[in-house]
Amino acid sequence: MKLEIRHETVYRYDVHAHHSTQYLRLTPPSTDHQRVVEWQLNLPGKASSGVDAFGNIFHVLTLDHPHDEIHLIACGVVETTDQPWQQSAGLLSPLVFLRTTPLTECDHALRQFAQPFAAAIATDPTTGLQQLAAAILDAMPYRKGETVSDTPAAMAFAQGAGVCQDHSHVFIACCRHLGIPARYVSGYLVTDDEGHVASHAWAEAWFAEAWHGFDISNAMTPDGHHLTLAVGLDYLDACPVRGVRHGGGGEELHARAEIRVIEE
Amino acid sequence: MHALTLPDARHHDEMLLASGAVRPHYQQFAEWLHSQTPAQLAEKRRAADLLFHRVGITFAVSGDESGAERLIPFDTIPRIVPATEWQMLEAGMKQRVTALNAFLHDIYHDHAIVRAGLIPAEQVFTNSQYQPAMQGLDLPHRVYAHITGVDVIRHADGQYYVLEDNLRVPSGVSYMLENRKMMMRLFPELFTRHAVAPVEHYPTLLLDTLRRATPKDNPTVVVLTPGPYNSAYFEHAFLAQQMGVELVEGRDLFVKDDHVFMRTTVGPVAVDVIYRRIDDAFLDPLAFHPDSMLGVPGLLSVYRKGNIVLANAIGTGVADDKSIYPYVPDMIRFYLDEEPILQNVPTWQCRKPQDLSHVLANLGELVVKEVHGAGGYGMLVGPAATQAEIEAFRARVQANPSNYIAQPTLALSSCPTFVESGIAPRHIDLRPFVLSTGQEVRMVAGGLTRVALKAGSLVVNSSQGGGTKDTWVMEG
Repeated sequence: MKLEIRHETVYRYDVHAHHSTQYLRLTPPSTDHQRVVEWQLNLPGKASSGVDAFGNIFHVLTLDHPHDEIHLIACGVVETTDQPWQQSAGLLSPLVFLRTTPLTECDHALRQFAQPFAAAIATDPTTGLQQLAAAILDAMPYRKGETVSDTPAAMAFAQGAGVCQDHSHVFIACCRHLGIPARYVSGYLVTDDEGHVASHAWAEAWFAEAWHGFDISNAMTPDGHHLTLAVGLDYLDACPVRGVRHGGGGEELHARAEIRVIEE
Repeated sequence: MHALTLPDARHHDEMLLASGAVRPHYQQFAEWLHSQTPAQLAEKRRAADLLFHRVGITFAVSGDESGAERLIPFDTIPRIVPATEWQMLEAGMKQRVTALNAFLHDIYHDHAIVRAGLIPAEQVFTNSQYQPAMQGLDLPHRVYAHITGVDVIRHADGQYYVLEDNLRVPSGVSYMLENRKMMMRLFPELFTRHAVAPVEHYPTLLLDTLRRATPKDNPTVVVLTPGPYNSAYFEHAFLAQQMGVELVEGRDLFVKDDHVFMRTTVGPVAVDVIYRRIDDAFLDPLAFHPDSMLGVPGLLSVYRKGNIVLANAIGTGVADDKSIYPYVPDMIRFYLDEEPILQNVPTWQCRKPQDLSHVLANLGELVVKEVHGAGGYGMLVGPAATQAEIEAFRARVQANPSNYIAQPTLALSSCPTFVESGIAPRHIDLRPFVLSTGQEVRMVAGGLTRVALKAGSLVVNSSQGGGTKDTWVMEG
């Protein structure tokens, strides 16, 4: 499947910021599942690029002149495959993805929730983890506005609702508690539903010598409709834009990602 | 005459035998001590207190909400190390630090020691101090720990044991330097009688180590501090001043075009080496702790490109973690094909069921520590604890065994120390500092001797009421 993506992010500040630095993970890598045909970034300044610890392509954008807006556009064409969602290990030991982070820490309730799935996962990891994913969506249905970008897994779970980020964090927290390495994936999802936000997040779990995908929010296995931007221990490692600025006062953020099928 | 309390025979005293006889390397000092009146010495101690206040060498106790600073007590009776003992200590520490640097290079590259089955993979890769960002990164001269503080103690058997390695941001070297200056000022005559190895050149060696940490010619070196509220701020300022380099905070640095720059009155200046006294988690808010106000946004991206040297490197904490400590002798054999010169303290790892049951059955006799803990917090000293404290700690260990290790209660050696009643033995440890450039490993002959000022106490940390002494390494 050939997909065309346009992802626009605009930050507007109440007053001038005099210095800002952003880490951008807005360039998809070519993987076992996707081939980047063309990609470009339109940024308000010169950015340097690199590859981070998790193999993600990132750019560092520093603006050291007064500015009250940062306008970022990422667009391009990517070809995806429909093969079963399996990714090979990179440089890092998958065991690294057993460690918890503040966003993916289990509390007592989460541990109790996860434990009953241990036996099923041990017997058949794919089926067991799908059951876990389904139970998570059941316990915390998709609902916007209940959580924010730094809501930890345990808190979202306690609130009983969340978005794809929260579902992924809860799934990852449970996996790690059960001794299954798990990681966060940020990317795009193409749906038939026009106007649906294309930015998406799901999770991958490590077993049988490969990373296997689980789209918890959509109760499905990621496929050719999914396009990976970045992976990491949690949202903070993989999110498309992470920045720090001096000055600027309050901020307004507009993000819009559009994705369209240009070839089935 | 001084009111002298003799050491008991159950531990080693650096100066005296239980009979009161003086060990040979303290003979000259003891003669001098007896020639001084208690009043004269009390006067010198008052002078020392006053001078330290004037210099401003103070220490804010971490965990103390008021942020109040207080003076770390300084004792004027030095700890004397004979030349032959120092030669052994120096060789042992250099060997250890060489192996630790090799270990760090290995676990961030090929994982040979894990593949060889010497250290379980999960011990390394699930360790919170293991930094994924370091995997595959090539550092100049393969040096991770440019500066290491190795804590050693002497047990009742007269042998030295390594208590822990400090490869993150070891502190205390300013006390080594200031204590010596103080002793030379108060008792100049002692230094004409004794051939004490000098320590004053430490800042020169440190600067040389930092400059050689980058392949760049004529590099710009800075000291990065968390700021005046940090308990070791005095030391950061002191070392920057002694080395003649800038002391900066995170907000003084910024990242642009793949380089780190320092804001100065004459415009941005490119920085090549950062002697950072900030923990990994706070170095770059875009890569680590997002709320950190102490670090430099974007620093990690420059580091991964090889355009800045951090001393010490990111991710060294995995090598000094208490859960990795038991494997250091194996590292020495594996990487250097040598037998360890300095011994480890026998350690039970509570994550192992067999070790755990031994520990739980003997809590009253053991020292139990958190694997990621530091500074004497979060530990149980069995013989000094009440039954209630032991039971409370038992519950903590049982709830999370892998978070704890245990060691026998070591009879730290003692050294005569001025106390209320006169002179009495107090327990001490020793932290020498090891500098690595990749081509050579260097030390100044000396270190920080910490002393537990409470009678019988084995906790020497300044945050727990410890003091310091000058450390004299005798020239052979």
